[in-house]
Amino acid sequence: MPNIAGNAYGLTTLCPIKNGGPPHRLDEDGATLPDNRSFGAILRDRLEDLPCDERSPMARVPNTYLCRFFVLDDLIYQGKPAEEDHLKSKYLVFTSNFHGDLETYLHGMWEHAADAVRRIWEHCVAFDRVTDAGSFVDYIKKCQVETTFYFMGSTDVSLAEQLKGLYLKQEFSKFAFANQGKSAAELQAAFAEFAARTRPDNVQGPTWRPGASQLKDAVVEGP
Amino acid sequence: MSNIAGKSYAMNTISPLPWHKALVLKLLFFIARFRTTSFNGLLTLSLIHYARWAILRPGDFPHLDPSQPKEDLKYHYEFFFSNFNGSWDQYVDSFSSAIPGGLDLFWRGNVKYPKSVPFRPFHNYITFNQYWTSHYYNAYPMAASNDVKSAEHLRKELVDFTRKVEGASPEAFKEQYDQLLLSLQYDLSTMAPTPVVSLAAAAIDGRERPDAAC
Repeated sequence: MPNIAGNAYGLTTLCPIKNGGPPHRLDEDGATLPDNRSFGAILRDRLEDLPCDERSPMARVPNTYLCRFFVLDDLIYQGKPAEEDHLKSKYLVFTSNFHGDLETYLHGMWEHAADAVRRIWEHCVAFDRVTDAGSFVDYIKKCQVETTFYFMGSTDVSLAEQLKGLYLKQEFSKFAFANQGKSAAELQAAFAEFAARTRPDNVQGPTWRPGASQLKDAVVEGP
Repeated sequence: MSNIAGKSYAMNTISPLPWHKALVLKLLFFIARFRTTSFNGLLTLSLIHYARWAILRPGDFPHLDPSQPKEDLKYHYEFFFSNFNGSWDQYVDSFSSAIPGGLDLFWRGNVKYPKSVPFRPFHNYITFNQYWTSHYYNAYPMAASNDVKSAEHLRKELVDFTRKVEGASPEAFKEQYDQLLLSLQYDLSTMAPTPVVSLAAAAIDGRERPDAAC
């Protein structure tokens, strides 16, 4: 399966966007205004308005390592003597790198970020048939294109394990630095306190928050 | 709009190639899947989290409803998506310098591909065919790809060590601890928010507020 490298999955989707645009929009007072934006432009604005890092809706989707969205308006003409190609639809390009299998991932996406999913895909062709997690999985599979080659330069363990590892790397590096030159008994006592605080074998917590971009609020205690 | 999420950069390129060259390229990628040494250069560079290539025929563009016009394209298209650490220039130059042959192998059939060396035409080609990302999410913006890999090694070693030293005397503990530090000497370092790698990223940082978009 070229979409898979170990336990990591490379999802590549092109979701066609409806041509044209809405007939009108409403202003703050509910009055009808003309809206000259195409559905593709509306979608691009919505994507660019999404909050980032730990506030991104994708931070709520289990096992997402990295993902991206953009609107493919058209293909780039390479200049003469090449021939000119144009798309008849715009496409929402959504690619994701995640741990595990596709169906579980997409179910998790619907379960944890259905509000954002509806807003992002609202103007895509045939998305009006999506009503629940099952139909969302079917829809994305229809938009999926096969990855010809997927390269994994990182790890394929679960996101919880990756984040716990990063938390431990940070904390243990500080511990090793702070406890240089101590006697065996002092060191053992300090490590006992460190292990009780960091719980190395518990991937649920304490750990780093998905998408954490600042150290001051990166740590979550977990259940 | 941002191609940057913390220490990671999202590159998207889409470039055309004739159908017969697309067939050859697919065959090359098929062989590469079973010859893992083909990507040793990429592994050595060690700045990529995940990357992918997708080669599409005109008929591969999803068609979901009769109301959607079918695509009628003259070329096949090579889609390339990468998640890497560092700046655009660092990445592109690393590739050109370290694995020029590999780059040429996977793009050689593309229309007007100039080859990876010299740098300037190659830079122009990538820039010309690059698409900007509207929303990029990274689960660990403060970590580089090497941080994620060394963190996994450290986590496993630390879990083993914690079990191994249960009930040990202070002297035995110290001996094991010193061995642990030796085995982790390449994995110990602290992480922090990314340094500014571009004026665009700096502008984004500057305007970011709790409820603002990225």
